[in-house]
Amino acid sequence: MDTSSPSSPSSSIDSNHNPPSSPSSSSFSSICLSSNHYLSSGRSTSAMRTRRGLSTDLSLCLSTSSSHQSQRRSSWPPLKPLLKSATVGRSAEEEWQHGSASGLFVKVYMEGIPIGRKLDLLSHGGYDDLALTLAHMFKTTILCGKRNKAPSDKYYVLTYQDREGDWMMVGDVPWEIFTSTVKRLKITRADRC
Amino acid sequence: MDPKRAKQSPDSAEAIRLSPFPDEALDRILALLDSHKDRSSASLVSKAWYHAERWSRSCVFIGNCYSVSPEILVHRFPNIRRVILKGKPRFSDFNLVPQNWGADIHSWLLVFADHYPFLEELRLKRMTVSDQSLEFLALKFHNFKSLSLLSCDGFSTDGLAAIATHCRNLTELDIQENGIDDISGKWLNCFPDNFTSLEVLNFASLTSEVNFDSLERLVARCNSLKILKVNQSITLDQLQRLLVRAPRLMELGSGSFLQDLTPQQYTDLETAFRGCRNLQTLSGLSEASSLYLPALYPACANLTFLNLSYAALQSEELAKLLAHCPLLRRLWVLDTVEDKGLEAVGQNCSLLEELRVFPEHPFDQEIDHGVTESGFLAVSYGCRKLSYVLYFCRQMTNAAVATIVQNCPDFTHFRLCIMNPGQPDYLTNEPMDEAFGAVVKNCPKLQRLAVSGLLTDLTFEYIGTYAKNLETLSVAFAGSSDWGMQCVLEGCPKLRKLEIRDCPFGNKALLSGLEKYESMRSLWMSACKVTMNGCKLLAREMPRLNVEVMEDEESNEGQAYKVYVYRSVAGPRRDAPPFVLTL
Repeated sequence: MDTSSPSSPSSSIDSNHNPPSSPSSSSFSSICLSSNHYLSSGRSTSAMRTRRGLSTDLSLCLSTSSSHQSQRRSSWPPLKPLLKSATVGRSAEEEWQHGSASGLFVKVYMEGIPIGRKLDLLSHGGYDDLALTLAHMFKTTILCGKRNKAPSDKYYVLTYQDREGDWMMVGDVPWEIFTSTVKRLKITRADRC
Repeated sequence: MDPKRAKQSPDSAEAIRLSPFPDEALDRILALLDSHKDRSSASLVSKAWYHAERWSRSCVFIGNCYSVSPEILVHRFPNIRRVILKGKPRFSDFNLVPQNWGADIHSWLLVFADHYPFLEELRLKRMTVSDQSLEFLALKFHNFKSLSLLSCDGFSTDGLAAIATHCRNLTELDIQENGIDDISGKWLNCFPDNFTSLEVLNFASLTSEVNFDSLERLVARCNSLKILKVNQSITLDQLQRLLVRAPRLMELGSGSFLQDLTPQQYTDLETAFRGCRNLQTLSGLSEASSLYLPALYPACANLTFLNLSYAALQSEELAKLLAHCPLLRRLWVLDTVEDKGLEAVGQNCSLLEELRVFPEHPFDQEIDHGVTESGFLAVSYGCRKLSYVLYFCRQMTNAAVATIVQNCPDFTHFRLCIMNPGQPDYLTNEPMDEAFGAVVKNCPKLQRLAVSGLLTDLTFEYIGTYAKNLETLSVAFAGSSDWGMQCVLEGCPKLRKLEIRDCPFGNKALLSGLEKYESMRSLWMSACKVTMNGCKLLAREMPRLNVEVMEDEESNEGQAYKVYVYRSVAGPRRDAPPFVLTL
């Protein structure tokens, strides 16, 4: 487990986190379908939903421009965007309250692949976003919380380890609560769940 | 002099001799009133008093820019010199309000240009301000002196350049925490060489490097400079040179406190701080470490406000620093100081009235340190005068809060943020209801409350029963049913601002406050169970309220995902963007 947390913004840029290159369109449409389905399953109306509609502009997901990032920043805990920059001259919108300039990087492992990836949860607006990024990263279909597909080795599901050390299915709790309890992600085969 | 007597015999010479022009006396007396509340009360006494008050008022405070229009304002108050305006709902600070929502200052400036040509001061919070507006302000108002922008957006450093260039009488330029397009620091060079009136300069939240020579010359020629807060591009040795030029500073915000200083430079810095005998407020100090903090100590004797929220100090560093600050009344720190640092606060700062503890890593789950209930307890034992607290933590207990408010019954502002939403008392696993119950029972002067942790309707029953002076309440991820919100609406007579997110409150709760909302400034509800039908009903029943629903991709069919309700004498907004529906 990675126990060192970045204390200065410059060290938070993780070399493993490479924005994905152009994805194949087929994996895209399957992600859109699956994530749409889980979103429409009955949930309490007070649950926080993802901020992406189906007509997600691919470039938004890939873009690292600061204006998009500032729109998808987390709204909890309630902290104003104050400035802390180790390097003078960085765009004000890239800065955030103190340590949050370091984002929320969690490790992601795919079953069967020993080398993991890291991604910044906070640069995602919700589960939809996350599913899209993971699809690019691992070039496969990943389901978040969808259950009525017959388990088979063709599908992967996304799980996470929470603060208590338990492994849970991603997608059950509101996004805000998820980001506050998640420690790491794992992509496992659907038939294992 | 009784005005009635003057009316009864207006033409008699005797009456004229006996009545010494009550209106003139009234004008003189009312002109001395400063408080907005006093002026409001005075204006309600009679028509004569209403008119005397409106002619003599020079400063106006508008807590919600949409509650009134610029036209109504200038019609009532013809002689305003100072305007304070607040715009967007507070939750816009946390990205809950989309861009281009509104609260644009320009329409106000256009009206002011015609009616308040002698406008001197503008203090804006959460407004949208464009460079064009700043240039308009600088060019049209020749007497303009004081500009304060807090949490505003929409402008760039080019706008600041316009202010610096054209406002010959500027005394204050205060730029804080804004969504600003920081293009370059060249704006600072725009102050003319013969410009000497500056008293307040705060550009701490800008990142672009400024020309130090320009800044030094500016500080040197502005002899009345009392408040100087520089940004991180200013180094320690540069700071020393500024302090030597401005030893009479009352408030100082330093730049970066990290630099390799030679022993001579360090001594010079310490000497410069020793020369600052009037310092009451100190902030900045980013990257401060035990290496150079001692240079500060000589300047801390009269310090009343210490803002360390940019300095990730450890507990010992804080303890040593606080030993030199006996008169401290307000302290802001990062949770890097941990409970041990807060124990030092309790031991050293017996006069402390306000404490704010911010999290260094608010989004990082793998952090085990930070502050806990122990730190808060330690402060409460040592600082019995504590009246304002903002505390971010990852664990809390009901028992600790109960003890804290017994130690410190004078709380007026109690804002506790347990960062994991819906977290119970970590020792007993019970909801945190009893904690906030204790707060409202023990602190009769409570004006502002922010709750967190796992909370049932019981918390809100307590609030409605005991918090009779409560004016502002912030609620997130809490409550069990409509009943909770109803308790608050029915029980808190002085409630002015209610902001709620992610709670199970629906139409029944919303509509229970039907008659209440006109006595409040505003209500915000997002991600609750309120529907469009409920909002439409509210809008229909209460025509003097503006009921606005923000469209959102996340809303379900019929759900009103973000609702903003406020009283207004100006009617529905005319500048609402497409995603804001006024019902």
